[in-house]
Order: sequence, then C-alpha cells, then structure tokens
Amino acid sequence: MSKEDNLNKNWKKDFPIEKQLATSVSRRDFAKFLTLVSGGLMVGSGLVAAKAYIYPKEQVEGDHFVCKKDEVPVGGTRAFVIEGSTIPYILIHLENGDFKAYEQKCTHLSCSVFYKPGTGIIHCPCHEGSFDAKTGDVLAGPPPRALPGLDVFFKGNDVYVKAAVQEKNPA
Amino acid sequence: MSNFRRSQNQSNPNKLNAILSSLIFILILNVSIQIWLLYAALNNALDNNKEILIPAFVASLILFLIGFSWLYYLPKGNFKK
Repeated sequence: MSKEDNLNKNWKKDFPIEKQLATSVSRRDFAKFLTLVSGGLMVGSGLVAAKAYIYPKEQVEGDHFVCKKDEVPVGGTRAFVIEGSTIPYILIHLENGDFKAYEQKCTHLSCSVFYKPGTGIIHCPCHEGSFDAKTGDVLAGPPPRALPGLDVFFKGNDVYVKAAVQEKNPA
Repeated sequence: MSNFRRSQNQSNPNKLNAILSSLIFILILNVSIQIWLLYAALNNALDNNKEILIPAFVASLILFLIGFSWLYYLPKGNFKK
C-alpha cells in the first residue's frame, strides 16, 4: 500500500486531526483538570466529615469476659473478639503483672500486631511499626496513631474488658 | 466596548505565559494543601477527634472556590476570529 493510498483513506477524512494534536494536553485543559481534582478533594473531605458525624464509630458496650487470669502466662498474649463484632483484640499479660487489651490491627495498614515478650513492645511485622505495650502509643515506624485499647478489669480470677474511658483534655 | 477579556486576548504571548504559569502554580499549591487537609482529617476521624473535620472541610471548600474562580483569569489565547 502506498503512502498516497493511506492518506486518502476515509477515516483520515472523518478524523482530520494529527496525532500530535490529539495527544497533547493544553495548559488550559491542565488547569481545568487541576480544578476538577481540587473539587474531588473537597468532596472527599466533606465525606470524611459526614461519615464521622452521621455514622460514628461504635463503642464497645458493657463488660465482656475474656478468660481466666491464670490462662495467660506472664509475657503471654491471648487473642479474642467481642460478641457481635469482628474486630480482633489481644490481651497481653505484661512482665510487671498488668493486663492490657488492644486492637490487633496496626493503625498503619491493619496488619496483625503481636507482643514481643520481655521487651514491652507490640510489633507490627509488615512495616516494622512498634507500639508501647503499656499505653499503646507509637514508638517507631510508620503507624500514624496509637493502638486503640480496651480497659481491663478483674472479677475474682476472671479477666473482663470494657470500652476505654475517653481521655478528653479539658479545654 | 473594551473589557478585561479583550485586552487579555490582545496581550503579548509572554504575558499570557506568565499568567498561565502562575495560575497553574497556585492551583497545584491549592491541591497540595487539600491533599494534606484530607490526610489530616482522615487520620483524626479514625482517631475519634471530630473537632477538626468541619474546619478542614471548610478550608478545602475555600481552596476549591479560590481555584475555581481563579479559572476566570485563564487566558483564551490569541485566537483570530
């Protein structure tokens, strides 16, 4: 097929735009696209706010039995879930004798965290995040927030958990 | 009648370049701030800090409106009719 034939093909008449022209993005279009992105981010921000106010995160209600005290050795952990919820928690028996309960989902990308016995550190293996086992605060790595925890209390030899009391800074 | 648009259309391409560049620069700046606002709002929403969400949304809205009204100054180019 000669070049002349190709040029006279019908589709070239129907779509008489050169390839360079068809693929180039003008600065005007780029500026408009940036404004579209800006609008999208604004809507996203609105959705985040709306979600937080209309469907707030459900709090754990009531007291929940986890296990007996002597079922968890010092430095040991026990995974549990609360009835009616799918959030995994871990109960940790610290070396100083305290019991602590945290969500088992890393606040970075929801990987499973585990307690490193003897160190006082809850570790996330995915991206080397570390949390303080006493408070749940972030010690190292990419997690942006502290691990959400539950309050642990005892009834005799039984270990129970309930929703952590919100610490609100008095304004 | 002469107006802003007409004089802009007749202006030197160098001037149009400067207008377009600064316009795009400010839009990119706005979008960057909005990304940061969204990230901060999301993190605080997950941490149950609701106080910051509405101000972050309002700031994002203002930035969007600035960018949107800014588009009015987008040169149309030196088109000859």
